[in-house]
Amino acid sequence: MEMQAQLSSLLAKASDELQAIRTRPELESAKARYVGPHGELTAVMKQIASAPKEERPAIGKLVNESKARLQALLDSALARIEELELASRLGPPIDPTLPPVDGGPGTFHPLTLVREELCRILRKVGFTVADGPEVETEFYCFDALNTPPEHPARDPQDTFYFPQGARFANVSKRNPGERYLLRTHTSSVQVRTMLKGPPPIRIISPGRAYRRDTTDASHSANFHQIECLYVDRSVTVRDLKALLDYLFEALLGPGTKTRFRPHYFGYTEPSFEVDLSARHLPKVRKEWIEIGGCGIVDPEVFRSVGYDPEVWTGYAFGMGIERLAMTLYGIDDIRVFYQNDMRLLKQFSWGL
Amino acid sequence: MKISLNWIRDYVALDAPVPEITRAITFLGFEVEQVLAAGVPRLEHVVVGEILTSEKHPNADKLSVCTVDIGLAGGVRTIVCGAHNYRVGDSVLVALPGAVLPGGLEIKRSTIRGQPSDGMMCSGRELGFGEDAGGILILEGKPPLGAPINEVLPPGDTVFDIEITPNRPDCLSHLGLARELAAWFRKDLVYSQEKFRGEVGGAVRSDLFSGVRVDSPDDCPLYSAHVVTGVRVGPSPAWMQERLRAVGLRPINNIVDVGNYVMLECGQPLHAFDARKIDGGRIVVRRAREGERITTLDGRERTLSGRTLVIADASKALVVAGVMGGENSGVDESTTAIVLECAIFRAASIRWTSRSLGLSSDSSYRYERGVDPHTALEAAWRAIDLIVETSGGTPAGPVCVVGGDVPWRREVAVSSGFVRERLGFDIPVPEMRAALESLELKVTREAQAADEGAEWTVSIPSWRDDIDRPIDLVEEILRLHGTERIPPAPVVSAGLVAEDDPVVAFNRRVTSYLVGHDFHECVNLTLRPAPEIATWVSETAAAELALSNPFVEDQSHLRPTLIMGLLDTLLLNQSRGVPAQRLCETGRIFVEDNGQIYECAAAAFLFAEDGGRHWRRREPADFYSVKHHLGAVAAAAGVDLGAERVEPVAGPGFGWQEGHSVSAGSIGRGWIARFGLVNLAMLRARGIEGAVLAGIFAVLPEKLAASAPRLRYREFSLFPAALRDIALVVDASARAGDVRATVAQFAAAAAGSSFSVESVEVFDVYEGKGLPEGKKSLAFSLVFRSPSRTLTDDEVNDVVLKIQGEIAGKTPFQLRK
Repeated sequence: MEMQAQLSSLLAKASDELQAIRTRPELESAKARYVGPHGELTAVMKQIASAPKEERPAIGKLVNESKARLQALLDSALARIEELELASRLGPPIDPTLPPVDGGPGTFHPLTLVREELCRILRKVGFTVADGPEVETEFYCFDALNTPPEHPARDPQDTFYFPQGARFANVSKRNPGERYLLRTHTSSVQVRTMLKGPPPIRIISPGRAYRRDTTDASHSANFHQIECLYVDRSVTVRDLKALLDYLFEALLGPGTKTRFRPHYFGYTEPSFEVDLSARHLPKVRKEWIEIGGCGIVDPEVFRSVGYDPEVWTGYAFGMGIERLAMTLYGIDDIRVFYQNDMRLLKQFSWGL
Repeated sequence: MKISLNWIRDYVALDAPVPEITRAITFLGFEVEQVLAAGVPRLEHVVVGEILTSEKHPNADKLSVCTVDIGLAGGVRTIVCGAHNYRVGDSVLVALPGAVLPGGLEIKRSTIRGQPSDGMMCSGRELGFGEDAGGILILEGKPPLGAPINEVLPPGDTVFDIEITPNRPDCLSHLGLARELAAWFRKDLVYSQEKFRGEVGGAVRSDLFSGVRVDSPDDCPLYSAHVVTGVRVGPSPAWMQERLRAVGLRPINNIVDVGNYVMLECGQPLHAFDARKIDGGRIVVRRAREGERITTLDGRERTLSGRTLVIADASKALVVAGVMGGENSGVDESTTAIVLECAIFRAASIRWTSRSLGLSSDSSYRYERGVDPHTALEAAWRAIDLIVETSGGTPAGPVCVVGGDVPWRREVAVSSGFVRERLGFDIPVPEMRAALESLELKVTREAQAADEGAEWTVSIPSWRDDIDRPIDLVEEILRLHGTERIPPAPVVSAGLVAEDDPVVAFNRRVTSYLVGHDFHECVNLTLRPAPEIATWVSETAAAELALSNPFVEDQSHLRPTLIMGLLDTLLLNQSRGVPAQRLCETGRIFVEDNGQIYECAAAAFLFAEDGGRHWRRREPADFYSVKHHLGAVAAAAGVDLGAERVEPVAGPGFGWQEGHSVSAGSIGRGWIARFGLVNLAMLRARGIEGAVLAGIFAVLPEKLAASAPRLRYREFSLFPAALRDIALVVDASARAGDVRATVAQFAAAAAGSSFSVESVEVFDVYEGKGLPEGKKSLAFSLVFRSPSRTLTDDEVNDVVLKIQGEIAGKTPFQLRK
């Protein structure tokens, strides 16, 4: 059986050769050499015709078997090559202990985190965020808020003013003679909002405010405030207390208490200072911490924005965002908020 | 303001313990800043003893062993003592086991160097008052043995340091606060009885004093002068000195002390002149002459302005009215007759004077806040009583009162229903009325209201000028009810359909985007120094953005950009050796345009060089990184920055590097963008290491508020795209955007209406080998697609040929094969 010998030596050779193949071109050329039109197996198969008739079935069977085995060898070579190809895409081995080199993640400023958290809590009870200019006029900052012309808060010792000739194109004046100033509180936003439309109104006005003051560990000439204003029919002292109880418990968790102490502000009557008790916070050493001021909107304020104080009532609340952030995070120097040392910023990657 | 509890007890019999009184003051609306103990504190187990024997301690040279008789409190005790200032037979104070001394020391039975000791003999300091005076306290006289300390020594005092709100000038006095406390504790208020009440006991001494002339009645609505003759100036009595000291005043002499005492009692400032020092015997209340000089009691010479009110005589100013007396007319040891001033000055006038002189006093503080003119004379009478009592003398004539003739009458109506409506909870009607009356807000008429409640007419006393509306009475009722007792409630909130302000939404979106791209959000101050604005922005901006009254020199101007602040942050971190690469900030900036200032919302960010060492390096950020992120920021304001024409930043505007930075937009269009490389030389001058790339986008709030057009869905094709490339050789200076626009225009024209050119994008920029000098190659990828069919190669090739033909025929660009 000369042909049988031929086939088995061909298969042995193919097996050795195909096992060594690592690339597709090699495989393609090997395929051509064995099963192509001029391939070795093809050549053997051509001999069938010249074989004696009675041997043909056996030879045919033998050839088919060999053909199948060769195909199996080719398939496994292909599978091996595909595997090698995938492996080559993996890149070099990794060392999972090496640090990333891209920097980040980015961080929100702690003042932003506190502000946004307050807004989120207040939005749930129907407040939306209002905004207004930081350069204001005497009317919006003082007159409309029942602050008489001789009030010390209006003194150039305490409030930043602009020269008479200053021209702020997109900050409207109410009275031609009034001066421009840097707002001393964000209550001016409340005035602008009330002048825009009728009640009911339920707004938060967070933002920058300015006082002409020495900068030290607990004061900054430039600071941030957040204020709430609610105007509707029959708004009561009890409603105001309910809001603050809700706000601080939502912010600081169960066990947080608030209390009102009578106080005086020109734009509210009665007025209160708000104390907070949150002994579960670190660094809170005192039983009660003064956190903000609030009260029932003074009828004079409504009059100055054209609301009828016989019909409308409201409450207002305001506090310093820095002060709250300092309490919340245990920071004891307000100036760190404006230095933006990365070691501060990176402590507050996400959330409170 | 300091308030003595002993003094308060002159007017109201308070028996509550100090913490409860502190709480009462707090919830009446006056912040208690400090509670200080003065004098002998209340102590248990500290009693009088007599030293019977004293022997040297056997085991300690400096100690003695004494036997002390404490009488009924426990007989004879053995006590080890370290002091040597006593003699056998002296009466001393013994702290017995169980006593806790003011320093917290708890006395126990003990053994000292082998000797039992059954208590401690105390020094004044150990007992919380006085000094040690070289050892233990030796009592004078022979107090009964075993008597508790507080029975033999005068009671101590408690001093409250209180902040009085500006609406309550009536409480800048002991009487005022006593009235509040009497109301809180529902006790009676007892006024001092005046004996003299303005009557003249002695002769009219017009030789000493002839009268008062008020030239500025607006500034001085009331001026009264009383004469007292035959006074002997000397120290005031011990009780008065003690009270003045307790509230932080230094006793001076009986006349001056009475003035201060009555001011602290009633809130009415008083001033005494030596009658002989009033030239011409006549007081004139007038404005100072411009430049007039006076040496005030603090020894400083002051130059007055024409707005300053002074009390003067015929020749000179004697007093800066309501603020401080002059050295030339004060009471001293030789004074025998005085003129007592009791006056009301206009608050604003005193405030102006006090501020302009930089001089404030207890007197000016009270006048600035408002002194009740209707009770002023009572204070004068009270003072004369005390002067007569402490320095002898006789009230003489003439008594001069100028002004003060506007009568006081005010009534405010309020109903219990109104109170309830404003409070949102119930207080029993009788409690409401009792609260008002306890504050001397007398109900002059009560009527039954429709709701079964009461309607009251309330008479307001003259010292409560702060009450003139029903709501003011609601506050009084709530104060006395107790703000701690406001009942809890759920938050009731009717839904309001409103959106956050567009500026807020913009800031939030932009900050989230930038933080999401690894930027660190910063907060920098709004106020910047002038020279920085002049060099980095412009001289005009520096002029327009100035405050008229900056507080410190380097915070004198509004910020016209956020980038300066971010550079400050970078510098601070670099100087502290802390790596900082990506910083951002949002906030208001103030843009000068044609002499007008526009307040804009703005967002800015910067990339600093990565100075750190890493085991693998990343491609650093470049101009196009900035463009990418600023495009996203602009998109948040509805601006498609990619479609906008950018111009090079001319000159040093905003401190940009020429040729490597651009600007777009204008105030007229409502927004401005500037981005690129920050000027390298200016950065170096600032001390910043490495290059900085930055971008800022500013937008007018009113532009953000203008509602954005509603977006519409655009259908897209599901058929395959046909891609073709076109490469062009152009001048090296040609801008890719311009070339692209030309190609896109030809492509759109060539494709016509048969199918669309989906995109034309630059994908390769090449300059160098194989190209002529001064030329570069730009390669564009064109994507064609039909909404309704698969495109054939031939029709796409035809379009490309047309485009190439147009380029060859109409542009200087060369097609690259």
